[in-house]
Amino acid sequence: MPGSEYVLELKGITKIFPGVKALNKVQFQLRPGEVHALMGENGAGKSTFIKVITGVHKAEEGEMFLNGQKVDFKGPRDAQAAGIAAVYQHATSYPDLTVAENIFMGHEIIRHGIIQWKQMNAEANKLLKRMNAEFDSTAEMGTLSVAEQQIVEIAKALSTNARIIILDEPTASLTKRESEELYRIVDQLRDEGVSVIFISHRFEDMYRLATRVTVFRDSQYIGTYNVDEITNADLIKAMVGREINDLFPKPVVEIGKEMLKVEHLSRTGFFKDISFTLHAGEILGFTGLVGAGRTEVIESVCGITKPDAGKVYLEGKEIRVNKPSDAMDLGIVLLPEDRQKEGLLMSWGLGRNVTLPIMGKYAKGGLNDEKKERDISKQLLEEVDTKAVDIFQPASSLSGGNQQKVVVAKALGQEMKVVIMDEPTKGVDVGAKAEIYSIMGDLAKQGYAIILISSEMPEILGMADRIVVMCNGRLTGILDRNEATQEKILDLAMEKGPTAKGGVA
Amino acid sequence: MAGKSGRSINNVPESPVKKLIFGWEGILILVFIGVNIFCKWFSEYYNMFNLLRQMPVYLAEVFLMLVMAFILVMGEIDISVGATVCLAATMACIASNAGIPFPLVILITLAVGTCCGLINAVILTNFSELPPMIVTLSTQIIFRGIAEIVLGSGGSISVANTAGFKAISRKIGSVPLILFLVIILAVFAAIVLGRSTFGRKVYAIGTNRLAARYSGVAVQKIRFIIYTLMGTAAGLCALFMVASSYGANTTTGTGFEMDAIAMAVFGGISSTGGKGNMIGGIISAFIIVCLRIGLGQRNVNGQVILLIIGVLLIAAVALPNVLGSLKKAVKK
Repeated sequence: MPGSEYVLELKGITKIFPGVKALNKVQFQLRPGEVHALMGENGAGKSTFIKVITGVHKAEEGEMFLNGQKVDFKGPRDAQAAGIAAVYQHATSYPDLTVAENIFMGHEIIRHGIIQWKQMNAEANKLLKRMNAEFDSTAEMGTLSVAEQQIVEIAKALSTNARIIILDEPTASLTKRESEELYRIVDQLRDEGVSVIFISHRFEDMYRLATRVTVFRDSQYIGTYNVDEITNADLIKAMVGREINDLFPKPVVEIGKEMLKVEHLSRTGFFKDISFTLHAGEILGFTGLVGAGRTEVIESVCGITKPDAGKVYLEGKEIRVNKPSDAMDLGIVLLPEDRQKEGLLMSWGLGRNVTLPIMGKYAKGGLNDEKKERDISKQLLEEVDTKAVDIFQPASSLSGGNQQKVVVAKALGQEMKVVIMDEPTKGVDVGAKAEIYSIMGDLAKQGYAIILISSEMPEILGMADRIVVMCNGRLTGILDRNEATQEKILDLAMEKGPTAKGGVA
Repeated sequence: MAGKSGRSINNVPESPVKKLIFGWEGILILVFIGVNIFCKWFSEYYNMFNLLRQMPVYLAEVFLMLVMAFILVMGEIDISVGATVCLAATMACIASNAGIPFPLVILITLAVGTCCGLINAVILTNFSELPPMIVTLSTQIIFRGIAEIVLGSGGSISVANTAGFKAISRKIGSVPLILFLVIILAVFAAIVLGRSTFGRKVYAIGTNRLAARYSGVAVQKIRFIIYTLMGTAAGLCALFMVASSYGANTTTGTGFEMDAIAMAVFGGISSTGGKGNMIGGIISAFIIVCLRIGLGQRNVNGQVILLIIGVLLIAAVALPNVLGSLKKAVKK
């Protein structure tokens, strides 16, 4: 085998964790200067594979070649020294330190035991400039947006002179525009001869960036394809192992009576003068760039935060919501954006998670009826088809998609009228996504009024009856399903000229 | 839309008795038996009669543990309780000496403790981002400071009319009244923490406060109740402290907060929140009480007893880890 064809090649990699084969004889080839997508459902073994490449895990079997030479990494430091760097899904940064400190963490520029701040800041700025970043190396990491933090992470990778960069779901928490910026940076890296391995659940990312795609399924290698030769349907089939005919099963539902009406809702510094209505059986999409104020509006409606002005009506009656439990009592149920921090208690069993908001309803004299609890949670979890063994296993043991189903089950247990889903498919693989959309459609059919907050354009266009677009704390337009297009939405979501942030004045 | 794939999820729990025996509580029961065998060997005076006779003064601290367990499960801490005991005990003596009828003295003592707890509760729930450690450290200094002002630096106070206090330290048969009270309250606390919806919410707060709030748990209301009750428990403890010595001084209750925390942590209640149960806390409280009595009978220095308890505590905390790595080593 000529050594120069691939910068990185892995053969027959098997990684065993106690009780499970996380990788079963998988292979992978990376060409120089190539952007190679790695796709598969959650739990397919992508992350484990990345950790084998970066020396975090040691494979039980298999060989790894770097520029044709066999290598054997003892730990992450070896991989780093060999020019491999990974940018992980959840930024592993230090929010209280500066950008420069974050970039050079672990390999600070030191002379005579003293950190060379000037030089380090200058080097950091050079890296940032290379990526057209709009912030300085002395900025505090915690003050940056997720997208900006991602740029810092990439700068960190570059600062180690990496020739192979691995991006693990980099666009998962980015908006459309921020993703575009990331694409541009990846393009630039490729042009500079850096090879990039790209993990993503978004097909958009793959089509835009990658030349080839490798698919894993159930810990096994399925195949490597040229991106421009494989159809969407074939790729999904490769990933899921079955065909998904309709990703967005939007049922035709007759729109019922008005359920929720929000009038002139304002919260200083976050959003201003927001008015919209929501009807039974309707799915109302909420979109806009991150920071446009979508989540903030919903949090005010749900009692997480308090609005300064405006009125909210439920079924024609004005309601006052001071705390989350008020909203729940009224039947307004929020499925929060961050499953792991807000939606679930990760170390708790599934059953307890599901019944936490409702246990008071079937308790006897303040005592929890555990028998009833087990029955109710079993029924709810089965209703959304959760892939779980029993109701006692911790939520953290499930994949992202199944965790989201538990969140849905938790909501279903409540007597709800209005369901608000904040980014319900974030970080969820395509198979589970389809199931969540199908549940959403079923809920609409049953007459629930649904708000879907999402940054993913296909999801919003595919599922929503009407689309509310926000920009900079203001509602810029409400589009009907028939008239909505990606261009129209983007046009409304983009800032036009200097507008004051909602309510600052 | 019942389960489309017809997949069934198991909801039959494993036996709770089995869990208790093979869990931490099982180890604690063995330790309890071991400690008793050791004490019996160590001290010729260690028998049921003496145990019951000497128990009351140590049992007073168990009241503190019962509420401290809730605070620890929430992932928080209250280190002001020892000072609260001091202040409440001082006020109990003053009230008694002022000729106030004894039932009212009881109420006043409990009220003083409750007020101290209330102050913590108000501060902590209104400024929920303040760390409980810092707030209760401050109130600890304040409460003890007030007691010192009242008593004079290093001062003490004795009760003139001991009739009431004698009455609450009396025995029913050979069993002291306080043991009944401790058992009743312990059972109640165990049910509330382990079986009630309130207890479940306390665990939710300790596991993930944000998610608990999003699930409709009234986090601040629950914190308010628990911190206030912590003060009430300190008042109850103070009452029995005065009953055991017919007086109070500026060092009354010193270190009680740490004793209460030690009992709970030794019982498997993690100070990081969300873990442990009341049964473990109660067993470990009795282990510590027995150890203190047994060692005390042979005039082992109080500091040495503390040292032994400290070593036991570290050993207990380390044991699961040691067992875990042993298991691994055996497997290899």
